[in-house]
Amino acid sequence: MKNSNVMTYVATACAVVVVVVFVTLVYESRALSYLSSDPKVCITCHTMNTHYATWQHSSHREQASCVDCHLPRDSFVKKMLAKSRDGYNHSVAMTFGTYGKNLRVTANAAARIQNNCISCHAEAVSQMHENSELYVKFDDKVSMGRRCWDCHRMVPHGRTKSLLSTPDNLGVKER
Amino acid sequence: MNKSMIVIVVSVVATVLMLLLLGSIQGNKADQAMINVVPNIKKLEPRSAEWGKYYPRQYDSYIATKESDKIDDVLKKDPNLVVLWAGYAFSKDYNAPRGHFYMLEDNINTLRTADPVDDKTGPMPTACWTCKSPDVPRLMAEKGELEFFTGKWSRLGAEIVNPVGCADCHDNETMRLSVKRDFLARALDAEGSAPFAKATHQDMRTLVCAQCHVEYYFKKTDWQDADGKDQTAMVVTLPWNNGLSVEAIEQYYDERKFSDWTHQLSKAPMLKAQHPGYETFKTGMHGQNNLGCADCHMPYVREGGVKYSDHKIGSPLDNIRNTCLNCHGESEEEFKQIVKRKLERKDELAFAATDAIAKAHFEAAKAWELGASEDEMTPALMDIRHAQWRWDFAVASHGGFFHAPEETLRILATAIDKGYAARLKLRDILAKYGAPGFEGPAFSNKAEAQELIGLQMDKLVDEKITFLNTLRKEWIQKASHSGKDIYDPKTEVKTFKTSYNAEK
Repeated sequence: MKNSNVMTYVATACAVVVVVVFVTLVYESRALSYLSSDPKVCITCHTMNTHYATWQHSSHREQASCVDCHLPRDSFVKKMLAKSRDGYNHSVAMTFGTYGKNLRVTANAAARIQNNCISCHAEAVSQMHENSELYVKFDDKVSMGRRCWDCHRMVPHGRTKSLLSTPDNLGVKER
Repeated sequence: MNKSMIVIVVSVVATVLMLLLLGSIQGNKADQAMINVVPNIKKLEPRSAEWGKYYPRQYDSYIATKESDKIDDVLKKDPNLVVLWAGYAFSKDYNAPRGHFYMLEDNINTLRTADPVDDKTGPMPTACWTCKSPDVPRLMAEKGELEFFTGKWSRLGAEIVNPVGCADCHDNETMRLSVKRDFLARALDAEGSAPFAKATHQDMRTLVCAQCHVEYYFKKTDWQDADGKDQTAMVVTLPWNNGLSVEAIEQYYDERKFSDWTHQLSKAPMLKAQHPGYETFKTGMHGQNNLGCADCHMPYVREGGVKYSDHKIGSPLDNIRNTCLNCHGESEEEFKQIVKRKLERKDELAFAATDAIAKAHFEAAKAWELGASEDEMTPALMDIRHAQWRWDFAVASHGGFFHAPEETLRILATAIDKGYAARLKLRDILAKYGAPGFEGPAFSNKAEAQELIGLQMDKLVDEKITFLNTLRKEWIQKASHSGKDIYDPKTEVKTFKTSYNAEK
């Protein structure tokens, strides 16, 4: 009886430790900040510094933030699912260091981005949209069959966007 | 195994995993801190080359402002200006600005700063250095702002030896943009709509420029120095309390009965606009769309695999591909034509304004000569004051015609209106005193206009050259041997270019 009492105390203490460590982890990783749509959240880790810097110097800066292009905008549920998916992939890559210096968008993200291009520039691409039925599909994952940025290569991050290419950008330090 | 044991095992496993993750996060944070680490540069280090050791691309592009070396004599282009500024040093010499590299050199070479012979002579106050050099914030930090703003321009000749540079806009501890001249923050707070403390990084990309590219005046301020002696400082002050518009600033000066000088011919209490670039930019389409100065004047450029902000600040038309075309779809040639046409429109109205105002000055002088009373003259003189102020406000920032074409042309229209209002009033006075058809003397170039207002240009130039060969040389000697590590010989300008030099 006495022994199991001790065990209960130890177990409770362990549970408290778990909670404390968990809270510390949430705090240190700024986990809750990821619920926000502020572009600065995307540079919590240095991995996105270049993408932030190039966007900040682009014509999209005043019109579209990171999530406006990179996450679905048609439903909140889809947005949160995509955010969780990206968040999980990014966490794994950051923790195990499995990313290279030159990040590339996934097929899943490319499809979302393309939809967002089309949703803002609907008027401009309406005819293209119709015509696309008639043409070869280069990429059947994105609508219209060809990624917008295959041609509009500089939009919005430019072609030079490795993690080493914006060493002195000031915007990333402004938090 | 009982429940407690399960809790303990799960807890230990979870804790270990979370601690590992925490360790990884800390490691990533350390990486980030490493990326953001800033080289060890002295606080307010005035020599840009010292910053350039760590930021070679930014430094090299800053030094490339050297290429903008042409002397563009504004008085030559419109000799009316000589008459407009009669009795004020601008009538002697006024060029459009060259690259940042030449700021200090041009301030020292211009006939406006004249020919001091020691640290107590010369017409100009220390305030004339305010925007020329990172040695200014250094001195303000060392000695205090009021001490800096006290005394003659020549007092600080051996201390202010670096042209505007890195330390004017960057904080040495973080490299972030920072405003080094407190009068800007004071003015923004006094105006109230955009207090300085709320400025974002994007705002700072304009505000660091607004330390200098703004309208200001020298406000007489009495203070006591450390020895309890009474001193008078001429403190650079931005007249923004009533707002940033030309009318609001005009009202500010009128309320304070402030004038920069009394006109030599008309005796009107005149205002000299400085370079209200920020104020006009904010009213234009680019300013309204939250662009900053740096967006067009310091484009993000690529060099090999690295991108950086181009510090060769100048006309965006020199680099349309990296500036205008970032957002717009026209061709480079179309852009050049659009801007050219904007400039022509401004020049057309600006000339109409200076023509009317110059004539008004002569007519006022004639009216005084014929015995007009102060009561009769005051309304006309106030029109002259306001007309010239508005014309000057519209053109003095140089870029206003592009930054805010509608506002610039509107202001010029009111300048012409006020100019002719003055002339109408003066016509009545002249008619009353028997000179109804009076016309001011004709002049066709800068030299004739300067002769007309009695400037002895040869003498002024000779005195200036003497100053440059004596006191100026002493300043450089003193600065390089002061033991203070402030002088950088690389900033020396090798080719002597001025408006008077070119004419001789």
